[in-house]
Amino acid sequence: MNSEGMRGGISRRLLALGAIAAMIVSACGSTTTPATGTPAASIAPTSAASAPSTAPSAAPSDAGYTGPEATISYSIWGDPAEIKSQQAVVDAFHAANPKITVKPTVSDWDTYWEKLKGSIAGGAAPDVFAMDGPLFPDFQSRDVLLDLKPYIDKDGYDLGQLADAAVADFTTSDGQYGLPRDLNVVTLYYNKKLLDAAGIPYPDATWDWAKLVEVGKQLTKDTNGDGKTDQWGLYTETSDMENYWSSLVWQNGGDIMAPDGKTTVLGTDQAAGGIQFLQDLIWKDKIVPDPALFAETGDAFEQGKAAMEINGSWLVPTHEAAGIDLGIAPLPKGPAGLATSINPTGAVVFKGSRNPEAAWAFVKYLASPAAQTKLMELRASLPANKEVLAGPYANSFEGAKILADSLAYAHIKPSFKGYEEFATLLQAELDANVFLAPNKTAKEALASVLPKLNTLLAEQ
Amino acid sequence: MTSLRRPASRRGGPLGHEGRWALVFLAPTLIGLAVLSAGPILATLAISVTSWDLLTAPKFVGLDNFLKLASDDRFLKALRNTIFYTVASVPVGMAIALGLAMALNQAIRGISFIRTAYFLPVVTSTIAIALVWQWIYSSDAGLLNQAIGFFGIPAQRWLSDPVLVMPAIVAMSIWQGLGINVIIFLAGLQAIPTELLDAASVDGAGRWARTRSVTLPLLTPSIFFTGILSLIGSFQVFDQIYVLARPKPTEATITIVYFIYENGFKFFKMGYATAASWILFIIVAALTAVYFWSQDRWVHYQ
Repeated sequence: MNSEGMRGGISRRLLALGAIAAMIVSACGSTTTPATGTPAASIAPTSAASAPSTAPSAAPSDAGYTGPEATISYSIWGDPAEIKSQQAVVDAFHAANPKITVKPTVSDWDTYWEKLKGSIAGGAAPDVFAMDGPLFPDFQSRDVLLDLKPYIDKDGYDLGQLADAAVADFTTSDGQYGLPRDLNVVTLYYNKKLLDAAGIPYPDATWDWAKLVEVGKQLTKDTNGDGKTDQWGLYTETSDMENYWSSLVWQNGGDIMAPDGKTTVLGTDQAAGGIQFLQDLIWKDKIVPDPALFAETGDAFEQGKAAMEINGSWLVPTHEAAGIDLGIAPLPKGPAGLATSINPTGAVVFKGSRNPEAAWAFVKYLASPAAQTKLMELRASLPANKEVLAGPYANSFEGAKILADSLAYAHIKPSFKGYEEFATLLQAELDANVFLAPNKTAKEALASVLPKLNTLLAEQ
Repeated sequence: MTSLRRPASRRGGPLGHEGRWALVFLAPTLIGLAVLSAGPILATLAISVTSWDLLTAPKFVGLDNFLKLASDDRFLKALRNTIFYTVASVPVGMAIALGLAMALNQAIRGISFIRTAYFLPVVTSTIAIALVWQWIYSSDAGLLNQAIGFFGIPAQRWLSDPVLVMPAIVAMSIWQGLGINVIIFLAGLQAIPTELLDAASVDGAGRWARTRSVTLPLLTPSIFFTGILSLIGSFQVFDQIYVLARPKPTEATITIVYFIYENGFKFFKMGYATAASWILFIIVAALTAVYFWSQDRWVHYQ
């Protein structure tokens, strides 16, 4: 989970505050656990037994740490459910590596980055912290992350066990500055009940843009005859490229960044065509609600007011909790075929860490089958570990296999120095003139903002 | 205080015994101010002439940041929005507060309950308030849209329409800040000696004449005080924008303090952000100076 748009809700912010309080309480509680007489060793076999198939591959990496006793700090952003699941992983790690104590801290998205930058500037950053794929270059290029390559080489650690695109997001020409912890893709959700009621067959891999519009129109209804739409064919978010429009650009044969990552190639007809398709869904075909309509109340699909939604895989647990009879399908393909967006969250080590060995042991553990099996239980993201992704995860719920298989045609979310400012300026133009009101065509809007973006990229 | 027992002749200037004691007692505040206010303020002045991303060493760039700000479209929009917010919220907010204070300055049953009710938003967190106002302003079945729909007015996109969003945020801010101004005005009203009002009545002044010629002039110190607080506060508007302009402020809602926050903490441009904060400081200081200078002309102290 990553962009501000999807984690910006105030209710989430409040929940996060509650969660932080809960963490403090549980953190205080956990320090007393060893003292009450539960030998750490007796926990280890239990956690290993819970994932018997993973035991052989987990064993060598778990046995790696031979250094002195160490306490490391681990910072993440997250909501209450994620925090609980991370705590379970931290506890299991301590059970397997009794010499290392991990102290997790959590923040909401905005606070997380403020605190992180401040603590890095002060030289007191957490030993291990979560890193969003697109923001990674901004930190790595400023030389504050530890190159893990020497540790990987020394341990003979096989990066091939992790999803390739997710690993590549933390690779530079001279090193490997993090391991992916989990990843998210964008997919098509549908409400089975609403599709059944309209007698429409469920979406599948054969769907293309035309089919999406056709079915979307059938599912967009004014049920009470007051002249206003009560049920929308499709809901999506327009405020971040990840939620949908970057996938449309790729499906149309366009791209966002040039291969060298130094200029943007959004000026092409293919790129503009992808964004234009989304504007048309809202303002011409009218199967997607005007983004203003649900800006305050949130996800229309979750409220049962939209039959389908295109959004990230992080929404699976919230959609299920909302009681939606949920179906998952690949994104409809465009003129250039199938495409979706993948965005990994990595675990990185602070260059100034006093316990880099212990930090590496923990980063390695986070990517291990034992930890990944625990993290995937939430369904809030896909495991980065291939073995867990293809096996336990793909079989863990209906549609999980579709999410896992979509990695085959996924594009990595753009990741370069200056990403946040680039995305803010670009999105400000698109929101104001393309999505919230059709003041300009996608091509016109892009033409007006591209010079600013390229100047910005040249300054980096 | 031992110094109180000392003979008057031994009291002296700042270096006298008493002066030293005064320094001792003032020390916690002085040290606090120096370390927590003056230090950082001077530091920002130094940072504002650098290019600094927080993580690597700052580079001296002279006045580049200030020159760039002058032609930064986003900064100019933030400036324009902030001025709109101030011009719209300060006079209207003060006028409503003044009217309410006069209405609440009566001895009727339950008046303290009503006064408390007006003060409640002041002590409520902006987050909670914004949540409620998001409901009110919601485009999809929001309270306000239902209310105007009753009169046949079509639903509006209060928080997404670039024309409506700033007035909508101003309305919430006025409502939220009303209580503090009402309390200050009430205190001012209750400090007006009744004999002056009685004397005016005896001289034949009606209700309106009494208000205009006695109450308002004697209330000018309170008006001056709330005016300066509101002015400074509104130039620093951030919370309301941060929570109501979701998922993030647009060009119609971005304010100077949000611009500073965004550049400093999100775009790795701390030097640029501090330069913007110095511009804000200069604007607020200049306006405050003009405002203080003007008080001789209209503020009447008893």
